[in-house]
Amino acid sequence: MPDISLTVNGATRTGSPEARKTLADFLRDDLSLTGTHLGCEHGVCGACTVILDGRAVRSCLMLAVQAAGSDVTTIEGLGPDGEMGDLQQAMWDSHSFQCGFCTPGMVMQAAAFLSAHPDADEQQIREALSGNICRCTGYQSIVDGVLLAAERIRER
Amino acid sequence: MTAIAAERYTGASIKRSEDPRILTGAGRYVDDIKLPGMLHAAFVRSPMAHARVLSVDVSAARELPGVVAAYTGAELEAMTVPGPDALMALMGWQGPTPEFTLLATDKVRFAGDPVAIVIAESRYLAEDGCELVAVDYDDLPPVVNAAFALDPASPPLFANLGNNIASPQTRHEFGDVAATFAGADRVYDFHVDVHRHQNVPMEGRACVASYDAGTGAMTVYAATQSVHVSKVAVAMRLGMEQDKVRVLAGDIGGSFGLKIGASREELAAAAASRDLGRPVKWVEDRGENLTTSGQAREESFDVRAAVSKDGGLLGLDVKMVIDTGAYPGMGAMVPSIVEAMFPGPYRMTALGFESTAAITCKATYVAYRGPWASETFVRERIIDLIAKDLGLDPFEMRLHNAAVITDPPAVMVTGRPLVGVTTKESLERIAQLVDFPAFRRRQAEGRERGVYLGIGVATFIEAAPGPREPGEPSGPMSLETMRLRLEEDGIVVLFTGQMPHGQSHQTTLAQIAADEFGVPFEQVRVVVGDSDVVPFGLTGGSRSATMTGGVALHGARQLKARVIDVASHLMEASSQDLEITDGQVFVRGDPASGIPVGEVARRAASGEFGAEVDASLEIVATFDGGEGGWSGGSHCAIVEVDAETGIVKVERYVVTEDCGALINPAVVEGQIRGGVAQGIGAVLLERSAYDEDGNCQSATFMDYLLPTACDVPRIEIEHLETVPLDADVNFRGVGEGGMIVAPPTLVNAIEDALSPFGARIYEQHLPPARILELIAEADTIV
Repeated sequence: MPDISLTVNGATRTGSPEARKTLADFLRDDLSLTGTHLGCEHGVCGACTVILDGRAVRSCLMLAVQAAGSDVTTIEGLGPDGEMGDLQQAMWDSHSFQCGFCTPGMVMQAAAFLSAHPDADEQQIREALSGNICRCTGYQSIVDGVLLAAERIRER
Repeated sequence: MTAIAAERYTGASIKRSEDPRILTGAGRYVDDIKLPGMLHAAFVRSPMAHARVLSVDVSAARELPGVVAAYTGAELEAMTVPGPDALMALMGWQGPTPEFTLLATDKVRFAGDPVAIVIAESRYLAEDGCELVAVDYDDLPPVVNAAFALDPASPPLFANLGNNIASPQTRHEFGDVAATFAGADRVYDFHVDVHRHQNVPMEGRACVASYDAGTGAMTVYAATQSVHVSKVAVAMRLGMEQDKVRVLAGDIGGSFGLKIGASREELAAAAASRDLGRPVKWVEDRGENLTTSGQAREESFDVRAAVSKDGGLLGLDVKMVIDTGAYPGMGAMVPSIVEAMFPGPYRMTALGFESTAAITCKATYVAYRGPWASETFVRERIIDLIAKDLGLDPFEMRLHNAAVITDPPAVMVTGRPLVGVTTKESLERIAQLVDFPAFRRRQAEGRERGVYLGIGVATFIEAAPGPREPGEPSGPMSLETMRLRLEEDGIVVLFTGQMPHGQSHQTTLAQIAADEFGVPFEQVRVVVGDSDVVPFGLTGGSRSATMTGGVALHGARQLKARVIDVASHLMEASSQDLEITDGQVFVRGDPASGIPVGEVARRAASGEFGAEVDASLEIVATFDGGEGGWSGGSHCAIVEVDAETGIVKVERYVVTEDCGALINPAVVEGQIRGGVAQGIGAVLLERSAYDEDGNCQSATFMDYLLPTACDVPRIEIEHLETVPLDADVNFRGVGEGGMIVAPPTLVNAIEDALSPFGARIYEQHLPPARILELIAEADTIV
């Protein structure tokens, strides 16, 4: 009998993680959703950000058992059928990323923020992303990607 | 036929072919790999900076359910080959060579030195096992800085050296140093420090080593800048034949110089895999990354400058000391590059240079984006200091001293010709983009209100690849090799030893080959990351734009000639009359004649043309860099310093950069911005800090601060593409320049902002507390 049940990317998933196992490790190891990356495991870099019940959370700071009953979206579930959604497409168009390691967390953070603040300006976007560290880009291309996505969403 | 004229990809910001996988979570980094029976490694690390290891007891760890094995340093030593740093050995280092084991045996040499490895069914269990390992240490005096390391009384870290010198003091003179100083109007003395900071890729070091006892072959999935350098290191330290080692790499989460070859921990994991006959994964956590993976810079300079009263920089005399940390490798080799580059783009006629590399109880010095960058920092810093003392504008002093394009070109006093260097042009363009007089007015108005604005400019050149020297048979960098093949489905495959970790090679090399060969971009595949398949190569030193871009161009040209030759038999036309456009071979001027290149490949493979036609559509190309050339540029920062809090805000940042012809402008600009962001971090935030006992004080992201989206401004970039030197290949490297020149640009701006306080700055790290000290030291408003 599994100990926890949760919804991940729209599907019910169950498991029996050790009490000490983080949500990030559960997603990566038990569910093989390796898109979620671990960059610091102490809640600073944001690479492990997933959307849980509509909010961006750091899956390295949360235990898997705490996520029981929750609705989790990871980078694999952001777009339709694993394809790129609007935000990812805009980031591709904007050459947002280089090495790609911070990308899942950055994208999930931006997705959660944009859904709540579709009219955000550049400074608000920078503040919203300031808890996610990218070592490659200097952020401008990422910010441009989020701005482009916001513009396209507003135009629709 | 509609479009016979090919689209030109080179020079356009083609969207990256890497991105669809990266943006959907489908990238494959080392930690994403799961092999059947895979085990996990964790290390027991020294809490002491320097100590004798009296005993290591792993027995309790071995008893823990889930732990499969635990090895002490001595046990691992028996399974491997002790020796020097593999990269030093590969580069033919001739100086002092400390010999060491993968895990510490008799003593530990820095806080974090690995003393035991525990292998378990999960990383959680491996770390549980580490908790049960008992190590008995006996303190030794920690060698915490270069000054103590160079004191003959300091206890040697390595018995086979007898002292703590990784590279003994050497002195070289270029030009007539004594006469230049004797004839100078003014002689200045400065002491300039650069602090220890580090690469911090978002993915740390990582590997999965998998030994097959049946075949005696080792496969290592690695995060590395070169699968071949990693392969050599594994073979060397595990005592294996090189052909029995295969290194594979997929996506890599950044490196910036850190991941060249295989580290001690990766080699230890490989040794454990061989012993156990099961795959072993090791992924370093952030604490390990910050305290043990490697650190860079920490160099000090005593500089004398000979100057004429009109601001002519006549010559320099430099003493450099570098802190190489505990297991020296790259750090011992960097001073020679610093020496060669010290004159920069300036016409000085004398340089004296001496350097010493010291071994200390800190994490090992590693290459970090422009490892020799301190020459630019020191030179660009002292130009501002000298100009201020002479009452000159530092910007004008740079222009006054910069070599201009002449025929024959000016030559650096250390030997290299400054051919095609556009320092003057890049500075002048900065002045056009940034209205200096308007800024000075705004600055003056601000000061009246207690708002301290400052402006700083700095300039640099980078040998990426450097110029071909007159009469030299070979180019400035070692040969680059590429294998190219036309597949029967028409795909052009490039096999390269470049190992991209953010540089977008799978896009940029395909752009070049697609244009040269005449196929759509999507019809070119770039294969990387398999030592059994790709030629020797290394991503580093900003070499790939020229060297790999060049070999992609020439290789595609050679392959195209081969295809056209085969097609001439097929189409019964002369080779001279054939061309390849949009993936088809045409008789020139006859749009109806097109045959897909895949069809040519299929017919070639059929053997129908007989032995007299060379129908093999696979070639190996090499490129020596052609005429080479310099990268370079000038940067300008405008900052605001809050005199109450010491916080520095970068208000505007302007770059004029000359990297020759651009392959993909968006990729180039990403490299520049990323480098500038790291420079901002280095000056305002980042420091690898140690206390007086040698404890690392920056082991988390709460202590080692990285720039965020709120710290890095929009960076304005303008490209200069002024001087083509080569008939075909004028792409030049751009990976390191941003990080090389941003620190002096920012520090120059900060000193300018603090000029009402009379502050003079001789260091690179300026966090808020230090800014407040500088203001307090200056004491009175000038």
